[in-house]
Amino acid sequence: MRLLRYTLFRFAQAIPVLLGITVILFLFINMTPGDPIRIMTAGQEVSESHLAYLEARYGLDRPIHVRYWDYLSGFFTGDLGRSIHYNRPVSEVMMARIGPTLLLVLSAFLFAVVTAIPLGILAAKRRNQPSDHISRIVALFGVSTPSFWIGIMLIIIFAVQLGWFPSAGLVMPWDAPSDAGLSGYFWHMVDVLHHLFLPMIALGTLQMATIMRVERTQMIDSLQGEYVKLARAYGVSERTILRKHAFQVAQLPVITLVGLGLSTALGGAVLTETVFNINGMGRLLIDSIQQKDYQVVMSVATILAVIFVIGVIITDIAYAYVDPRVTYGEGE
Amino acid sequence: MRDKPLLRVENLKTQFVTENGTVRAVDGISFEVYEGEIVGIVGESGAGKSVASMSLLRLVDNPGEIVAGEITYKGRTIFAAEETEDGDRRLQDGVLSAETVRQEIRGNEIAVIFQDPMESLNPVFTIGGQLREFIELNRDLTGDEARKEAIDMLREVGIPDAEARYDEYPHQFSGGMRQRVLIAMALACQPSLIIADEPTTALDVTVEGQILDLVDELQRKYGTSFIWVTHDMGVVAEICDRVNVMYLGEIVEQAPVDELFYETGHPYTKALLDSMPRPDRTVTDLDPIRGVMPEAIDPPPGCRFHPRCPDAREVCRQVHPEPAEIDRVDGFSHRSACFKRDVFDVGYDESPPLDNLARGESERGQEASEVASGGGASE
Repeated sequence: MRLLRYTLFRFAQAIPVLLGITVILFLFINMTPGDPIRIMTAGQEVSESHLAYLEARYGLDRPIHVRYWDYLSGFFTGDLGRSIHYNRPVSEVMMARIGPTLLLVLSAFLFAVVTAIPLGILAAKRRNQPSDHISRIVALFGVSTPSFWIGIMLIIIFAVQLGWFPSAGLVMPWDAPSDAGLSGYFWHMVDVLHHLFLPMIALGTLQMATIMRVERTQMIDSLQGEYVKLARAYGVSERTILRKHAFQVAQLPVITLVGLGLSTALGGAVLTETVFNINGMGRLLIDSIQQKDYQVVMSVATILAVIFVIGVIITDIAYAYVDPRVTYGEGE
Repeated sequence: MRDKPLLRVENLKTQFVTENGTVRAVDGISFEVYEGEIVGIVGESGAGKSVASMSLLRLVDNPGEIVAGEITYKGRTIFAAEETEDGDRRLQDGVLSAETVRQEIRGNEIAVIFQDPMESLNPVFTIGGQLREFIELNRDLTGDEARKEAIDMLREVGIPDAEARYDEYPHQFSGGMRQRVLIAMALACQPSLIIADEPTTALDVTVEGQILDLVDELQRKYGTSFIWVTHDMGVVAEICDRVNVMYLGEIVEQAPVDELFYETGHPYTKALLDSMPRPDRTVTDLDPIRGVMPEAIDPPPGCRFHPRCPDAREVCRQVHPEPAEIDRVDGFSHRSACFKRDVFDVGYDESPPLDNLARGESERGQEASEVASGGGASE
């Protein structure tokens, strides 16, 4: 019950934040030089009256606050407007692109968490032994190397030189041919993973390295806690101490890190999609900025902001769930 | 005379190998704990009290290691080893394995209460959950029985509304209440011996009094033996039956508590007593011990206390005194490691006095801030 109230409260709090973000975005996009109609009609003979017709058709002739209001009311009724460049509804354009981005970001995160936490714990347990040193060097490499460079290197080595993995594109799991049987579906999934592997590692390495470093430090800290000493003195096994007593205390900062890492991962996805030629939201955003496709830029940026804010809220809720000292904002 | 002791420690040595050399934190101590008594280990910070008590459970943090000595508990050998000539240790036959010590000694035979109740409980688990885990681990009780036992124990140590507080977290308890929880934890495992490592040091004086009364009462009721580690002679007087005074890794005096206070044998014990206010005597000026205890990495030659001892003579710098029996009270020996007593035949009386007092004067300026106070009450 408290959790539900807290969740609703946090979502209510997020509304002004998101409104602020849309205002700033709208102003910035309209302040940038360039005109979508001119870009669209570049190199063609177009009469002044036709230009005026096009401006009126996309609503660009009206004052900016009216256009913002139109956008906002449209957003809440599910009408994201029409893309100038693609000449299709924005929602349609985005729906086609959001799948690959979600698949990429979520798999990269899964990869990061699943590898980083056990490695961090292992490094903490074997502190200052060779395996600890190796994992620290790998982590240092991971946090200090940009994801696009890792992507390019992966393509050069594993796609171009060795030919083990494809260098571009993603296959969506739900795009299996409709007449495929069970084995056909299996091979389709193999194909999905085959395409996903390199971009997932390119995007996930930074997250993995960051999480691993914090996991290691936190576990070392936690293992030196008095409560661990107490557990040992009462005959608790080292296994249980590692898995339960020290582990749970150490996860608090890791949860924050995973939640906030979502924003950097979305940013990284833009680059990774470009390097691996994936038709996701990131590339859509970059293309639309170049085309001055106001409606698409606004919608993509807003959706990314919504995903980020939701990520932060989920982080806070998870934190309060794991750490009993965090209250659900009830001023105890 | 007494039966066989519950715990016998003989010539225990625990060392820490560091970059700067070997720290002999515990350097050959021997003592016994009999059933139903509270034995004090008292001394300044850094004397090796905590390391000594943790060594009994074979819980010495890296890079520490028990290198020699023998620890026998209820006829079982927790540890027994000899130092070989090349500095290694050789475990003797019949020593319990590390796994056996963990499963059969820690918690269910020997339990501990730590100094800092604020840090000793795990912040992310409920009080009840932690109690129950240790009970289930150390006694043959099912989950429900363990829960009931945990609530009973919380009630026993004076936590009001124990059933409701069972599901609360450590941060919802005050320091004194948390220390009560730790005491409940120790008692709930039904050990025969509880090591209390400065359990009241972090508490304020009124709470300390309540906790000491509680322990006194529970000790009578359950008959559990205690090893009470403290730096506070006041606590010793209040709670202990017999006392071991530690200085720089060694036990310098060992006596029943009244004997220690009234027939003090060792100048260090005397200095500790003089540095605290006493209700049984009129004291106008407290007399703190001069200087600070030297590092255990490089102990002084001869008697380790001689640089700070007002009675030190030349012989104290040359010969290392072993504890020797100077008296017997109620079947317990009173041992002291000081040449002043005539049981030693090393020529103390003929030996020229060391000029400690004069040196003390000249050093007083620079050491004024370092004056060590032995008794907590004088702090």
